[in-house]
Amino acid sequence: MATNREPIFTHAVLVDNTPMPDHIPKVQEVGASSAPLTSTAFFIGDRCKPYNEDYMLCKHEAKGRGELECLKEGRRVTRCAASVIADINKHCLSEFRTHWKCLQNNNLELWHCRAEEKPFNSCVFEKLKLQKVIPDTPKGETPIHLRPATFK
Amino acid sequence: DLPPLGGYEPVQYKRNLPFRGFRPSYYLIAMGIVSAYGCYVAMNGIKERREMAREKIWTRIHLTPMLQAEADRDDVRRFWAAEKREKELMKGVKGWETGGVYNSDRYGFSGMALV
Repeated sequence: MATNREPIFTHAVLVDNTPMPDHIPKVQEVGASSAPLTSTAFFIGDRCKPYNEDYMLCKHEAKGRGELECLKEGRRVTRCAASVIADINKHCLSEFRTHWKCLQNNNLELWHCRAEEKPFNSCVFEKLKLQKVIPDTPKGETPIHLRPATFK
Repeated sequence: DLPPLGGYEPVQYKRNLPFRGFRPSYYLIAMGIVSAYGCYVAMNGIKERREMAREKIWTRIHLTPMLQAEADRDDVRRFWAAEKREKELMKGVKGWETGGVYNSDRYGFSGMALV
């Protein structure tokens, strides 16, 4: 019977630690875990929109060879996201921490943490001029992060 | 042991089944009002949930390029390491082409997963 047998070794996990070849420029990876990333996602989207769109377009047009051909765009995306997080750490660290710790305690559900989000968003807007925008909100309605809390 | 003075009270033997309740239309209207209110509350809840989902999806959209680029770098590093290993191992074999047997220039994964 041709049951689905995964092509993996089951007796050990073999980790390939070969580094990248030297002709590829090195980039400092973003080391953040999921809670800080969800917290800063909209600010990353705000500052890095052109780089993100460039990378996704490159991947789409490469049609199967995106991993190999879009490394440069990928480095740009990573550097931009890393710069956003570094700036937030420099200017708004305490509000950032309260927000992502709240998210971590609440299954990364943003609606639990509106009270912590408000001072964080205003701090980032003041210091870094980055705004949280939800693009496709229907016209005439306030975006959900600006509405009064329905329930906690 | 005689019956009480004045005798027993008269026994009710005729049927007594009075019509009770409001007009049926009133009941239907009340049901309709309660259902309508419930639908209104439910619809508002659904709209709110839609906006919450919208926010969550946009969070993920903004993070996808960064995470995908990181995964790509890892994949490419391992791909090139595997290719190099293959070249090294099959150096003496005549007629071996690294890159597999398929006539396609797509980037692809090898059979066994070497993490």
